[in-house]
Amino acid sequence: MEDDVFKQFREHSVAEFFKKNRQMLGFSGKVRSLTMIVHEFVTNGLDACEEAGILPEISVQVEELGKDHYKVTISDNGPGIPKSHLGKALGQMLAGTKFHRYIQQRGQQGIGAAACTMFSYITTGQSTKAITSHGGKKLTAIISMDFKKNKPIIEVTEETDTEEHGLTVISEYKDVRYERSNYGIFEYLRRTALANPHCTISLIEPNNEKTVFPRSVEINPKKAYEIKPHPLGIKPHDLLEFAKHSVENKRISSFLQNTFARVSAAKVEDLKSMLPEIDFNKRPDKMSWEDAEAIVGAIENVKWIAPSTDSLVPIGREQVEASFRNIFNPEVLVITQRSPKVYRGGIPFSVEVGIAYGGGVAAANKRGEVMRFANKVPLLFDAGGCAITETIKTIDWKRYNIRNFDEEPIAVLVNVVSVHVPYTSAGKQALSSEEDLMAEIKFAVMEASRGIQRFISGRKKANEIATKKKVVSRYIEQLSNDLASLTQRKPERIAKELREIVEEKYVDTKKESIKPPEKPKANEDESNESGEPDVNEGETNE
Amino acid sequence: MSDSKAMKKLEELGRGMVKQIDAGEGPTFETTLRTKSNTIYDEGYGCLRTGEKKETRKYLSVAQARTFMQTVAIAAKTKQFLAQDLHTSIRGLFYQLKFSLGENLDEDLFTEQSESNGLIEDLEVALKIKREDLHLTTDRKGFLAGNMKIRDKFGGEETIIDLAKQGRSGWSIPSDVDNGMEIESLEADYVLVVEKDALWQRLNEDKFWKEENCLLVTPKGQSTRGTRRLLRKLADKKLPVYCLMDCDAWGWYIYWTIKTGSMNLAYLGRDFAVPESRFIGVTMSDITEFSFLDKLTIKAKDVDIKRAEEMMSYPWINRHKDWVRELKLVLKTKKKIEQDALQGQRLTFVGEYIKQKIENKEWLS
Repeated sequence: MEDDVFKQFREHSVAEFFKKNRQMLGFSGKVRSLTMIVHEFVTNGLDACEEAGILPEISVQVEELGKDHYKVTISDNGPGIPKSHLGKALGQMLAGTKFHRYIQQRGQQGIGAAACTMFSYITTGQSTKAITSHGGKKLTAIISMDFKKNKPIIEVTEETDTEEHGLTVISEYKDVRYERSNYGIFEYLRRTALANPHCTISLIEPNNEKTVFPRSVEINPKKAYEIKPHPLGIKPHDLLEFAKHSVENKRISSFLQNTFARVSAAKVEDLKSMLPEIDFNKRPDKMSWEDAEAIVGAIENVKWIAPSTDSLVPIGREQVEASFRNIFNPEVLVITQRSPKVYRGGIPFSVEVGIAYGGGVAAANKRGEVMRFANKVPLLFDAGGCAITETIKTIDWKRYNIRNFDEEPIAVLVNVVSVHVPYTSAGKQALSSEEDLMAEIKFAVMEASRGIQRFISGRKKANEIATKKKVVSRYIEQLSNDLASLTQRKPERIAKELREIVEEKYVDTKKESIKPPEKPKANEDESNESGEPDVNEGETNE
Repeated sequence: MSDSKAMKKLEELGRGMVKQIDAGEGPTFETTLRTKSNTIYDEGYGCLRTGEKKETRKYLSVAQARTFMQTVAIAAKTKQFLAQDLHTSIRGLFYQLKFSLGENLDEDLFTEQSESNGLIEDLEVALKIKREDLHLTTDRKGFLAGNMKIRDKFGGEETIIDLAKQGRSGWSIPSDVDNGMEIESLEADYVLVVEKDALWQRLNEDKFWKEENCLLVTPKGQSTRGTRRLLRKLADKKLPVYCLMDCDAWGWYIYWTIKTGSMNLAYLGRDFAVPESRFIGVTMSDITEFSFLDKLTIKAKDVDIKRAEEMMSYPWINRHKDWVRELKLVLKTKKKIEQDALQGQRLTFVGEYIKQKIENKEWLS
């Protein structure tokens, strides 16, 4: 959508455009704007650390300078940014490392950090200060931007030698507000910690209160690697973007084969025969919008092998478990991991769900909490229009012994990972209602709910057993006395034996039943060659 | 049953349970199911009795724990009564057992007497024993006059009671006619049971039992266990038993309870049934024989009609053609007659009526 807008405003710079339309990046609302700023830097930091193989440590400090006026300092222990890239990274829109890569990453579009620089400048007139330690050099720089040209302006104020690495960004904002609500930084960082158990995150709030979410696992997640996009799922403007940047290919035919997965010479021949009016020998950057539309249309009529799905890196069963225990310490926890599927026929994704019930969830006073994540990034806003929220609304919780979802101590984590997450807007806070995606979310939540149901009914049973035991124990003394007077036996001995019998018969099975249920084995080894969303037996009758 | 035998049965019950407990099992005892479906008509003997279906009462059952404990408490308490040679009513037992189960339990062993009734029946069935054997008495209601002497051992004393010398009041039939009571001498020719005390007093005043040399009994409505047991013992002495009841639902019920026993107390079986008894009146057919009765009928109530219909469906009743005929007549005329109506013309007619019926063998089986 933003790309369509770009076309209309071609005469302005991108930066100029966003200056006027900052809500499109998520800078709408005072609390939300501040959370979005932290989000941009934290996700960049996490991605940078992971790519460099460093266990992330992120610290955030928010200081109140005046009414709706804050200073935000965010540091990471990542590799830092080399001097040559500093300006582009923090001062130029769409200039990051992410935009044209088909890889599972948090940010996906490198619009974030520069947008913050811009937001800071237009609300306070202040430039952003960056301290980067990279390759033995530590430099402090002041960064601002030329909105008209979408060009960064960098002024290095200090340069020293260092053995450290990392990046600290200090900036000021007005028109924002700090709040400890469901939409605030605290909740954002808590959920980030939940989905990223390998990182330690600390926060100093404006009242100087310090919170640390320590890491619960000591290894970085498997690195996501870049894959070629699959032709299915590509839209005309994507095709044009790829074609524009394809300098090494001289012809559209070779461009298609080299850029996309599963495109063989034979498949290109198929496309050619369907599109006689298009010259597949012309240079890719000469491709017109009409050409792109026609090619995309033809792509949909060719039979493709489904894309490879092994590029996806979910949080992981053990990791979700560790961090849930770390942050919530629930009475019961069930985690479901679905095998990768594709949506729009060509975009791999996978869904993982964790449901925590009782214990720390109740203690934290959380009721019916839905925690949405995309590529491990918490989505705090726009819940109403999100595919995850929509899907959870369709779950019949009563079937799982959860009488009223909104009032029970239950927290549901849904993480969707994909090389291309279908966000509804550039704010990246809601997933669009892709049919295949919603089906997968539903199956995953249902699967986990069955585990919760087993636990709740097990607990019910344990309570029943305890009640029975109480009833039966109640009359032991009287019964023993009367049996004693019928038999001349000592009442104490009869009572003792009876108590032992009762203890043995009404064993407290509660301890056994709070174990989280075993993971169902059904969908562990699904390959996804069909490209169809897999439906496990028993799930279709929902 | 002697006290020592009853006591032994109670001790056996306790020992059985303790044995189970020693073996690491929850205590149980077996009793016969006392439901309508397990009530059968014993054709050979002509009485209602319980069938073979057994039921196990378990202490380790939420639904049964309390009643199980209560049953054992009754057993222990009645053992004590036996040892002390003291008798009490079920009400007395209830008060003996109405105490708190302990300070930490806000609960009494018994809260209602009704709780104990079924449990006593359980004990009777499980031990094959009568409650009277456990020194539990029931209220007396029946009266008897006639040429019979009773040796009554009671309270450490022994008395001979001459039932021909009880004047206007008659001998009150005790609740237990088996223990400590023997028939010393019996010179009567038959037993006459009349439903109502009023008629008993009529016949007593008329010296009917002296003239006829019979034992004149009234259960005063439904028979107590003691009265039924006594009738059984008299029948065992080969005395015919004739019954004179109202011709209505209640009268029939009283008669059939004497004859076959009732569904509720079917577990008592043959010891309490008198299949030899005969129903000499009043019958609907009497109207043709004694025309004055025609004017003395009453409109039958719904309960009478319903009862008549029910009786026709019972196999132990509809096997008697004379009864089917009588009941059909009732259903047809929709009338009933009270035994008091026999005094309608002449007070002393009752005796004549009975004599004629017995002489002519005009009875229903």
